[in-house]
Amino acid sequence: MDTALKKPSASLTKNVLFIPALIAGAGFACFIFFAATAHPEKAWLAYLTNFLFFTALSAGGLLFSTLMHFTKARWSHGLAAVAEAFAAFFPVSFVLFLLLFIGQGHVFPWMGQDLHGKGVWLNVPFLCIRDGIAFLILYFFGFAYLYNSLKIRLKNAGKETRLKHFLLGLFERNPHDPERIRRRMTVLAGWYMFAFALVFALTGFDLVMSMDPHWYSTLFGAYTFIKAIYAGFGAIILLAALVHLNPHTQFTLSSDRLRDMSTLFFGFSIVWGDFFYSQFVVIWYGNIPEETAYIIERTMTAPWRGLAWTVFIACFILPFIILLSRKIKESPWCMIIVSSCVLAGLWIEHFLLLGPCFLDPDPGHLPIGIRDLIITIGFLALLIFFLLFYFKEFPECLENTSEREVQWK
Amino acid sequence: MSQLTFETINTTVLNTLTRPGKIYWGIIALLFAGVVLGASCWAYQIFMGVGVAGMNTPVHWGTYLINFVFWVGIAHSGTLISAILFLFRAGWRNPIARAAETMTVFAVCIAGLFPFIHLGRVWLVFYMLPIPNQRTLWPNFQSPLIFDVIAISTYLTVSSLFWYTGLIPDLAIIRDRSQGMRKKIFTILSLGWSGKTGQWLNYTRGYMLFAGLATPLVISVHSVVSWDFALSVIPGWHTTIFAPYFVAGAIHSGLAMVLTLSIPLRKIFKYEPLITMDVLESIAKTIVFTGIIVGFSYGTEVFISWYSQNIIEMETFRWRAFGHYAPEYWIMVICNTIIPLLFLIKRFRTRTIWLFVISIFVNIGMWFERFVIIAGSVAHDFLPNAWGHYRPTLIEGGIMLGAFCLFFFLFLLFVKHLPSVSMTEMKEMIHKTE
Amino acid sequence: MSTDAIIITGLFKTQKETLTAIEKIQANGWEVTEVHSPIPSQDIARALDRKKSRVGWFTLTGGIIGFVSGFALAVFTATRWNLIVSGKPILSWIPFFVIAFECTILFAVLGNVLGILTQVGLPDPDYEKNYSAACSGELYGIEVASPPADVDSLKDLLHLTGSLNQLRKTK
Repeated sequence: MDTALKKPSASLTKNVLFIPALIAGAGFACFIFFAATAHPEKAWLAYLTNFLFFTALSAGGLLFSTLMHFTKARWSHGLAAVAEAFAAFFPVSFVLFLLLFIGQGHVFPWMGQDLHGKGVWLNVPFLCIRDGIAFLILYFFGFAYLYNSLKIRLKNAGKETRLKHFLLGLFERNPHDPERIRRRMTVLAGWYMFAFALVFALTGFDLVMSMDPHWYSTLFGAYTFIKAIYAGFGAIILLAALVHLNPHTQFTLSSDRLRDMSTLFFGFSIVWGDFFYSQFVVIWYGNIPEETAYIIERTMTAPWRGLAWTVFIACFILPFIILLSRKIKESPWCMIIVSSCVLAGLWIEHFLLLGPCFLDPDPGHLPIGIRDLIITIGFLALLIFFLLFYFKEFPECLENTSEREVQWK
Repeated sequence: MSQLTFETINTTVLNTLTRPGKIYWGIIALLFAGVVLGASCWAYQIFMGVGVAGMNTPVHWGTYLINFVFWVGIAHSGTLISAILFLFRAGWRNPIARAAETMTVFAVCIAGLFPFIHLGRVWLVFYMLPIPNQRTLWPNFQSPLIFDVIAISTYLTVSSLFWYTGLIPDLAIIRDRSQGMRKKIFTILSLGWSGKTGQWLNYTRGYMLFAGLATPLVISVHSVVSWDFALSVIPGWHTTIFAPYFVAGAIHSGLAMVLTLSIPLRKIFKYEPLITMDVLESIAKTIVFTGIIVGFSYGTEVFISWYSQNIIEMETFRWRAFGHYAPEYWIMVICNTIIPLLFLIKRFRTRTIWLFVISIFVNIGMWFERFVIIAGSVAHDFLPNAWGHYRPTLIEGGIMLGAFCLFFFLFLLFVKHLPSVSMTEMKEMIHKTE
Repeated sequence: MSTDAIIITGLFKTQKETLTAIEKIQANGWEVTEVHSPIPSQDIARALDRKKSRVGWFTLTGGIIGFVSGFALAVFTATRWNLIVSGKPILSWIPFFVIAFECTILFAVLGNVLGILTQVGLPDPDYEKNYSAACSGELYGIEVASPPADVDSLKDLLHLTGSLNQLRKTK
């Protein structure tokens, strides 16, 4: 998955949204064609992988802002503004979640199987309702937090667009002093993070782990949300670095801030590695066939073995070694490459966990094909569309805020 | 805090190092008596055999392992505060970092005693070391118990070195303000530190690297301890969530112990301007966070035990909640997850009496968590005719009491002879806010 | 610096005063040989043009040695007694990784300590030279070298910049 994007310059204004929209449309069309072939589960696998990956990424992105606000960190004000843009993907993500059930026969391999009592939990109506409510709660807290955050950021904004008109109107009708808004944000940030952990644990169990209904791992839920945070932080670095390098935006990222963010990212690569190893060592060592079958298929048999090693190298080995260097952590170009590499690895990891449940074993061929790539690029274009939309609507977020921001030393 | 200056920090801390009074020595004597009691129980066990403890089939790991995990857990939050919060640049760590680090060093020492105590033939402990020997045997490095040996020794070495390195500038302060024998001792201990710019440059770099190394160490050590259990196949032990669950639980109990120690310390030494209520509140808030993680882990384990539809897993968790050790289980759940939620209410986290009481409850809960996991899982595993119970004996109780007394004994000795608040870090903290 | 240079140490109350004093002293041509401070300061280090710390290299070397040693220890001991234990291969990298990890940290820390001791220059039996006890507590001490002839003007300058106390020591 190639994430070295060619961003159109912002002077195209209205046209800037056209290209991602077009690509997203192409991806969608490809998906429809793919789903209409003899192997619709391959199309749905690509859909599910992308849905999970981009949802995790966007929720993890907003988590950065909530985390920094909740812990009263002072170094991240500008980055938090960029992080909040990822909330623009939430409504799309919810629609995509609902659309997932169109292909329910193909998305859930356990349908029709004898689940030995798990049917109480693993049935489509219950799963749809509980996960739907979970996402709604998460997005509710996310938007409530964002609403209050924008109240502060858009203090001096003009009502140029309809959305802004509506939003600023709401702000005017409910004025509050900044201190009260910040206290509210702290409470909402806490609820968002709590919901984030529970929702991603739940959806990790429901939409990934249960695809192989006879396997289970208690750490899987926590592993899912750690992945989401890791992906979110990588996406923030990628986005912030790209916006910084774009000459048409005011936004600048000082090397200190980038280094701090990259250090946090480095820390999370170790956390991800630790969670991965914790699952792996326990299952490997216990050597119980009920548990090891899942791991063996994904890490020790072809064709999945190659993907597993790619994931491990891209998500842990490379970032660990490369991010030891201070200079690399401060360079936007280097961080673009490193975070793209990690995000690609995490995408492959999502695919790897789901793939063997959907596809028949075929040692000779790489399971990821051109059609998967096109659908992925389509989803990516969808994300970019909404990010650009957010920045077009709220260019104030990309201003250099001088208050509370420590500039160049 | 704006009334603090370099001078007041120095005097406040140095005043604590004056000649202690009778009450102090009385308490020290009492604690020492407790230590002697523990040591006597241990000596009795060495002569009579491990059978005087309550371990037997099926529960062959009892309070010795429970205390081992408990004390390693306590040690962890010391490193969290001194190393991890240092990396996050959380200023509220500075007043308590020294006491927390010291707690770590002593807690690891005591934790390290327990595998030793648990050995029936204590004189054969050298079997665990990888040295060439007549038996032509080497330790099996694939075993999680040997992981423990390496991990705990590493943790002990690293925490002690970290603690000592952090002390050096403070030791120089004491050296410069004492006379005679004391000056001689502190001159040697402070290694001739004189605060030169080059010294500080290298020192701060080294300290940051220490913090950066101690952080993965903390996580790995308690993960290794959790793998003592998780790498088995016993239901209730063999579960992937153990590593982060134990680490979070360790920090939970350790932070509670920090509160237990620092609240009396603060009162007796008049540290209120240094260890402000903000600091204690921040600890309380972090306890809420770790409590939530622990609660999440409890919930996940129960859910997955049902989801697995594996009758043995389901029975293990049903029995935990409603079987012979149900009281211990519910103490665990209430003390670890429900009671800390009181800290969400401002009144409970800003009054020292509540902070102290709740911290005691959390530690009781965490001790019982280890009991439920360690003794409870093995008591009721695969075969019904192998099910049994475990009851600790008086000897085990005596040793446990001795361990607690040893910890407080060492800590009390420390607070009167070495600076219990890091003067240097306090000065850095007020300098930053100037 | 000539062998008969005299070191005057001026004591200052705050970091800001210290920094302005250093500037003035250096502007007047004297060499600031050392500054003693109660807390670390990046600004003073920059004013004195101190090089970056090399402690990290000691740590990295220690870490690499530890990583290799950890695996080496585990592999060596496993191969001495070629029995399969509980179905695991004799050389199994997954558990050996734990040993290697712990040894990496251990040796990195030992390297770190070695680096700190050597680079910081501890133990230092001569620490009392040109040192005032107040520097560990609350004052900053600036050591300036000067040929004997200029000592009085240096003392005046120090006094002018706010020095509270002055010590005179021959080098």
